[in-house]
Amino acid sequence: MIPDRIIEQGTLTTSGGRTAVEVRLPWYRALPGSCISGAKLTIDGQAVPEDTLRWGMNGKEFTFAELSDNTDEWWFPLDSAILSGDVELGDDQAEHTVDVDLILYIPYIITDAGTLHIEEHDSKTMKAVSA
Amino acid sequence: MSTETTTSTTTATGTKLGTPIQGVTLYSFTRAFHGREYDLEGLMRKVAAEGYGPGLEIIGFSSFRGFPKIEPAFAGEFNDLVDELGLVRTSLAVNADIGIHRDRLLNQDELIEYMTRQIEAASVLGFPIARVQISITPDSMEALVPVAEKYGVTLALEVHADQYASHPRILALRDRYEKVGSPLLGFTMDWGATTVGFAPSLIEAYRRRGASEELLGKVVDLWNGYYQQGPPADQQEHGQRFGSFIGLAAQNGRPDLGIDFGINGTGLFGPARVDDWLEIMPWVRHVHGKFFGIDENGEEPSVPVRDLITLLVENGYSGAVSSEYEGWHWNNWQSPFDIIRGEQAVQRSAAENAGSRMITDAAEARRALDNHLATAHA
Repeated sequence: MIPDRIIEQGTLTTSGGRTAVEVRLPWYRALPGSCISGAKLTIDGQAVPEDTLRWGMNGKEFTFAELSDNTDEWWFPLDSAILSGDVELGDDQAEHTVDVDLILYIPYIITDAGTLHIEEHDSKTMKAVSA
Repeated sequence: MSTETTTSTTTATGTKLGTPIQGVTLYSFTRAFHGREYDLEGLMRKVAAEGYGPGLEIIGFSSFRGFPKIEPAFAGEFNDLVDELGLVRTSLAVNADIGIHRDRLLNQDELIEYMTRQIEAASVLGFPIARVQISITPDSMEALVPVAEKYGVTLALEVHADQYASHPRILALRDRYEKVGSPLLGFTMDWGATTVGFAPSLIEAYRRRGASEELLGKVVDLWNGYYQQGPPADQQEHGQRFGSFIGLAAQNGRPDLGIDFGINGTGLFGPARVDDWLEIMPWVRHVHGKFFGIDENGEEPSVPVRDLITLLVENGYSGAVSSEYEGWHWNNWQSPFDIIRGEQAVQRSAAENAGSRMITDAAEARRALDNHLATAHA
């Protein structure tokens, strides 16, 4: 829908072996945690280990397993979520290529194959800031 | 019986001509809201200042943080702002999220509870109509009648491509409405069910993504063929058409565009004819004036806005029309504000050509909407 808005420019931060980037909802309406199916974070072509990924939303941090049955916490269309994972970035002024893939369930659209899910991708280049 | 006397013109068959209420859904401005150019209050002020109203439609889960929970203090501020701006609340668009749990669909009791909270929110925020969606079955609509009555909210189920008025699922709902006989059950007519072409601005967007003229010509030809055939008879035929757009993209070296062609070719540009709406016209409580762009002649090239307004006027419709601009998905090179202004000018011109007019005065709009909902078919 609006995948070019997923990665927020200039929000790449790194500290103590963890790196984070702020992401926007590429959809027009709020979705609960249960509809945030998964994400991939790739920095300079290297995928961040999946088991280290965390999703920050509404001031709390979740694994994707924790999100899977969470219908209390919602991702509002104006809010940035924080996607983070274990990756060491050199503290230099280098430009990094950041790729984010998101899989979202759209809970009101039920197809013959079940609840509709959409896969969206964004890629942006930015410098990292030490947090 | 209507006591409205603002319009006395009648058709040859004696039906009083309708005076539809002009308005807009904030969904039309999604790109500006999502991009943090305008917050909710800013958008409402813009709508009022630039005359896109008086009708105001809002999607609950888009615009209200924490929806469907609405704090009383927030409701008070919202209601004060609406009054200050002279806007008229028409429909609160609510969602039937039956797939909200990853592993199962909501059962009937859960769905009723889920919808009840949103219908209550519509009431608290002063919206007389809640737009509901196709995933609600006739049984669920019937079960929601006491909820609608408790909160005094009309439930208007949206008829949206790939469905259309004479689709079996819609006729089943209509027949149930007739049996139940509640004036609070009806439909929202979405003009996307009755389009006449694949939107040129979307073709332009594909062009900008590197699609060849040859491929784009084939996409338009495929859609035009389905238009000639009319809408799909059932979900199986819908699926076949969806698949044919995917196949076309793959055969022409752009498999990456296939799903997009399919979703838009079948789900945005419905190929039913305008008079198909007559199947459900007495139950149309609200209208989404869905459209995709305005061309160099000031007209909508793929939605027959003039014919649709004429249909509404001639059938005595004096409810609201929310201009619903959907071209923002792909059109990032033109201002939605200019485009919506252009579409509303077409609506007003069409209403005048049909011997009537659109209501643009807030006080008159309030009276007309109250009357429209109070005299519902039942």
